[in-house]
Amino acid sequence: MSIDHDTLRHLSEVSVAVELETPEMTLNIGPQHPSTHGVLRLVAKVDGERCYDVQPVIGYMHRGYEKLSEVRTYPQITTIINRIDWVSGYANEIPFIVAAERLMELEVPERAQYIRLILTEMARIASHLVFNASYPLELGAATPLFFALRERERVLDLLEGVTGGRFHPNFNRIGGVKPAYGAGSQTRKLAQDLPKGFLAETRQAMDRVLEVCDELEDLVAGNEIILARTKGIGTIPPEVAAAYGVSGPNLRASGVRFDLRKVEDYLPYDRFDWEVPVGENGDCWDRWWVRLQEIRQSAKIIQQAIDSIPSGPLQAKVPKVIKVPKGETYVRAENPKGEMGYYLISEGGLGPYRLKIRSASFSNISILPWLLEGVLVPDIIAIMGSLDFVLGDVDR
Amino acid sequence: MTTPTLPGAGLLKGMAVTFKTMVKTLIRPGRYLATVNYPKEKEIPVPRARGVIALDQEACTVCMLCARSCPDWCIYIEGHKEEKPPDKPGGRVRVRATLDRFDIDYALCMYCGICVEVCPFDALFWSPEYEYSEYEMGDMLHDMDRLQDWLATVPEPPPLES
Repeated sequence: MSIDHDTLRHLSEVSVAVELETPEMTLNIGPQHPSTHGVLRLVAKVDGERCYDVQPVIGYMHRGYEKLSEVRTYPQITTIINRIDWVSGYANEIPFIVAAERLMELEVPERAQYIRLILTEMARIASHLVFNASYPLELGAATPLFFALRERERVLDLLEGVTGGRFHPNFNRIGGVKPAYGAGSQTRKLAQDLPKGFLAETRQAMDRVLEVCDELEDLVAGNEIILARTKGIGTIPPEVAAAYGVSGPNLRASGVRFDLRKVEDYLPYDRFDWEVPVGENGDCWDRWWVRLQEIRQSAKIIQQAIDSIPSGPLQAKVPKVIKVPKGETYVRAENPKGEMGYYLISEGGLGPYRLKIRSASFSNISILPWLLEGVLVPDIIAIMGSLDFVLGDVDR
Repeated sequence: MTTPTLPGAGLLKGMAVTFKTMVKTLIRPGRYLATVNYPKEKEIPVPRARGVIALDQEACTVCMLCARSCPDWCIYIEGHKEEKPPDKPGGRVRVRATLDRFDIDYALCMYCGICVEVCPFDALFWSPEYEYSEYEMGDMLHDMDRLQDWLATVPEPPPLES
């Protein structure tokens, strides 16, 4: 059947002539929506397919970790802060431990620092692989999920082999890494070093990760549907990103070459040869692309660290009961999600007087009302997914 | 990043990856398969996996260090002092603390391992066993006999790098 041009024009005139009432509608997205990575609720005012006001409602997962930290001792707090951003639990521990070490003026042994660095980068790879799995899934492509999660599983297996936990490693101690379990007479002499064969297996796993990066790029990068849904959608200009405190890959996607691993010196990143990938436009596509490049850079860092890991002790000399001297410090680190910082105030007791946690996702989603103004309803999901937040990191 | 010229070329490229992986998986399943058929096959956990805590009742001296250092206080310990007769006549009467109750509530436990770490007498160990789910929440409370049973499953610590 063919419709000629005149009939088409006639039809379009008919639709225009009808007076349609489009009252504004309030649309609740979440708290139980698969794309919200937890329990984020968005109250969107929509007019047809266009939404002109979005307010995120957070707090459904508030667990009061800042307050809890005040009534816990320092070794117990690492258990809690593992659970802030559970996708990369290992990376959360580092800034807190470094903050306590700086107040205690401890010199951490080289080997312990290298182990921390390798495991942090593995946590970053695991976290970014989850993003690479879930983001195409939210846009309707299920295949990248299996590719990304397969390699993530191998990375997590290695992480578990060292720390004993896949999600909550709890491996760092003030002054170094975890001592041998059972500090009693029989096991006291065993240090909790890397298990045998870990370095060789990690090198293999990194080759696989680089391989799966190519596969993911082939799967996603050329896909016309994904390009159409992400290119030019949710653009964040660099000055707006900086004004809202957006950090991490989201900031770098906007073209700001700012990486705390280059700026701060909490781990010896300056000894390795790697670069900071930045995007051009700051749209959803760039945020996906930057994270994929970061996986490659992290794999590169790990391979260099494996080559040059020194041998030596794993633990600085610390008293059995850890008391942090009076003082305050702020240590920030590049978490997979962005800048994670701990403002630690100590009064000299067994636990901190106050621990302010600056988590990346909280600042990253604060841009949502600005970003989602005037976008189409399906784009809400595309933009939200590209920011890569975790609700445990938002609410703490 | 190259933009495909033909419409649908990107989709076909993705399909090619999927197809190649399917062939590779058929040829080398050990390299590419990531899942196991769980109840029939089981994954072997790593020796350091924090699965369940085992207790050596003989070694425990009821010092309460583990219960005090637990972040969520899920260890319940009760004990009493027992007088031990002297080994040889004229010797000192020794007082030894014995356990009456040592319970770990696995419904509360955060699996941090601090209790295992602080134990000065090597009475607590990690075992990688994981199959102890229950229908009732209350059954997650393991008493000292059940914790003692886990001791048989504690593996040797793995050999170390360097």
